[in-house]
Amino acid sequence: MDFSNKYIVVFATILCLVCSLAVSVLAVELKPLQEVNKILDQRLNVLAVAGVIEGGAKLPKEEVEKLFESIEELVVDRRTGEVLLTGAEAAAVDPIREAKDPALSEPTPPEHQRTQLARLPNRLKVYKVGIEGHECWVITIWGNGLWSTLYGYMAISTDLSEVVGITYYEHGETPGLGGEVDNPRWKSQWVGKQVYDENGDPLVTVVKAGMSTHPYEVDGMSGATITSNGVKWMVDLWLGPDGYGTFLHGVQQ
Amino acid sequence: MKTETKKILIDPLHTQNPITLQVLGICSALAVTTKLETALVMSLALTFVLTCSNTAISLLRNKIPSSIRIITQLAVIASLVIVADQFMKAFLFDVSKQLSVFVGLIITNCIVMGRAEAFAMGHPPGKAALDGLANGLGYSLILIYVGFFRELFGSGKLLGHNVLASVNEGGWYYPNGLLVLSPGAFFLIGLFIWIQRSVEPSIQEEGN
Amino acid sequence: MQFLREQLDKVEPHFHKGGKLEKLYPFFEAADTFLYTPGSRTQSGPHVRDAADLKRTMIMVVLALIPATVFGIFNAGYWEMHAANPAVQLASLTVPQIVEAMLRGAWAFLPMYAVTIAVGGLLEALFSVIRKHEINEGFLVTSLLFPLTLPPDTPLWQVGLGIAFGVVIGKEVFGGTGMNILNPALTARIFLYFAYPAQMSGDLVWVANNANWVDGFSGATPLGTMFVHGADTSQYLYTWWDAFWGFIPGSVGETSFVACLIGAVILIATGVGSWRIMLSCTIGMVLTVLLLNAFAPRPTHYMAVSPQWHLVVGSFAFGTVFMATDPVSAAQTNLGRWIYGFGIGALMIMVRVLNPAYPAGIMLAIIFMNVFAPLIDYYVTKANIRRREVRLGLQ
Repeated sequence: MDFSNKYIVVFATILCLVCSLAVSVLAVELKPLQEVNKILDQRLNVLAVAGVIEGGAKLPKEEVEKLFESIEELVVDRRTGEVLLTGAEAAAVDPIREAKDPALSEPTPPEHQRTQLARLPNRLKVYKVGIEGHECWVITIWGNGLWSTLYGYMAISTDLSEVVGITYYEHGETPGLGGEVDNPRWKSQWVGKQVYDENGDPLVTVVKAGMSTHPYEVDGMSGATITSNGVKWMVDLWLGPDGYGTFLHGVQQ
Repeated sequence: MKTETKKILIDPLHTQNPITLQVLGICSALAVTTKLETALVMSLALTFVLTCSNTAISLLRNKIPSSIRIITQLAVIASLVIVADQFMKAFLFDVSKQLSVFVGLIITNCIVMGRAEAFAMGHPPGKAALDGLANGLGYSLILIYVGFFRELFGSGKLLGHNVLASVNEGGWYYPNGLLVLSPGAFFLIGLFIWIQRSVEPSIQEEGN
Repeated sequence: MQFLREQLDKVEPHFHKGGKLEKLYPFFEAADTFLYTPGSRTQSGPHVRDAADLKRTMIMVVLALIPATVFGIFNAGYWEMHAANPAVQLASLTVPQIVEAMLRGAWAFLPMYAVTIAVGGLLEALFSVIRKHEINEGFLVTSLLFPLTLPPDTPLWQVGLGIAFGVVIGKEVFGGTGMNILNPALTARIFLYFAYPAQMSGDLVWVANNANWVDGFSGATPLGTMFVHGADTSQYLYTWWDAFWGFIPGSVGETSFVACLIGAVILIATGVGSWRIMLSCTIGMVLTVLLLNAFAPRPTHYMAVSPQWHLVVGSFAFGTVFMATDPVSAAQTNLGRWIYGFGIGALMIMVRVLNPAYPAGIMLAIIFMNVFAPLIDYYVTKANIRRREVRLGLQ
């Protein structure tokens, strides 16, 4: 069949219009639902790391919202430890994204460059969990493992004496080896470990598999030395004065 | 059932299987099959896109100018893929997070455009839909087979439930790490091709 | 002897076409040719390019492997004793201790060897019956090579699974001995490496019975130490001469550079192994190391480790001498062999030094170049044809 040029142009225009209309209407309609999912997912991770719910457990939206009434989101200055924002304003801040913006971040100090993070954001986000029996701070941690950047949360008791939990919600490590960072059995080792020494320096650390002896040492994952080291170094960074250390010690006093 | 309908429906499952015979869609068959759940959802998404795109293209087949037919097919397929992707982000968030870009990449899956160009352009909507469905099922068959064995032997689980208690969970089973890596899927597909062609020698390629 | 021949001849008709044991012909053939020189010559396989009988070739390889095997058995036993009781020192070994080391080593190695023979042999026989070809002596070499590449502490079920994969995927899917593009023993080893990495790497597997170790004994291999401490030789647990002789923990057969060297001499002298591949492998390795040395950020960095260390640690020597030269999976043209060997040496260092996850570079490098060997040969042959055509003025 031969079609005139005019027909082809009209056909293409109509097709494009119909397709784009259908796609954009759907995208706009579903957007709020998707946002809710994203936030819900994030909140479930926070609840899991604080030990309120079991890791991987699913709760309905209403229950999560109810639990989150006792959780405060704070945005703090990384260097001074000052609280900058609270409430809904704090919820909208994404420090991981800000770390990529030169105006909102600064280069990683040389002693922490082994985390392979190029820049650290000026502002950080902290969750203050006030649910009874589960009072703790939840901080976001990230850093490189073997193949990928690992993103996760770490929960520390309010008096900064012990680790409440650790979880990774995104990583691309080898399944079965470095991928064991999200294995509940491995994560459960962290619970109760001593966080800081008497000078306030980060103490909790990862050692070779099967070699942990002190109450601040966690066994590494066997066969995944590099991922284990990645975890060790990122914990050292984020608990120290270049991470959340200044803020955590500040509120402590 | 008429023999032709039967042929359209059965061939893509076995002797014309899109993955093991036409060797299309291999990329996603490797990428999303470490778990049975993701394999199942991916199968559903592709079958949906394939059936709808075949139907839509077939309905339009006499109206599509041949000079812009490829781009037309692409526009239809791309729209359908976005629909599937958006729906999954809204209603199946967990799985869509695991599938990440691979739902979006259905656009580049050769099975979809291949069926549109080879079948839907020349057949009425009913048959085209059936062909899309059957090819989607043929693809699903392989994905589910690969996903089943990779999850079972690679992590000792099925659909996230412990079947073989693995050593890391305190059990006895040593998970086979090779199956979790992409080459594991290659070996499984290779074995399937080997068995399939041994059972049905007529589909063996000519040797040279 | 006469009696044996008569007995074999008597039962032979049963195994021929139409005989009642027709299906079991491969077994008869194997027994017959193992005992007597075959009356006919092999028609296909590696034979196409080599005038030597396949059986003799394979027996030379087995002979060349004997030093590495015997030393490996002793070494495995010695480390087991040393780890359990540090008072057992190499310099002060008594004769009964040497005997004990041999027995302990044999106790670790022979079960792995037996499992390899049993599982691999069974599969080999099964395919021979189905495919109606003869049981091949190539397996004699594969079955000895494979356990020699394993850590002495490997669980037996993994040994069995590994060799099954090696024989089926590494060889039989391609059509059996001579048709395989990959070295089956290496395929089996790599399967285990990727399938059970936690049991195939780290510090705990290189010495048997780690439950008996005394506190403080690490079991790390020189390669592992090198990986942690870079070129800082003062931190190494072993001297260069330890690694040269092979008195270090590691996979059973691959710790001793000397044993591999003796094997290399046997292989080259009998014309079974290609000296070109071994030499070009070493050249490729040395040049790549020198290149990396030039770019090392610090003198103690891993990239600054000298070539002589790379030569003796890990399984470079074993892989180069026994795996890379496998006549079936290596390149066949002389120029091709140079390229093939050089590629193995260079790639091995790339993987060992630059890739943080897989220090066992030699296996991956050989398998990778195995895949490329036919392509290299194809272009070498084509270039040769073109050169001749030009010379004759046809082009």
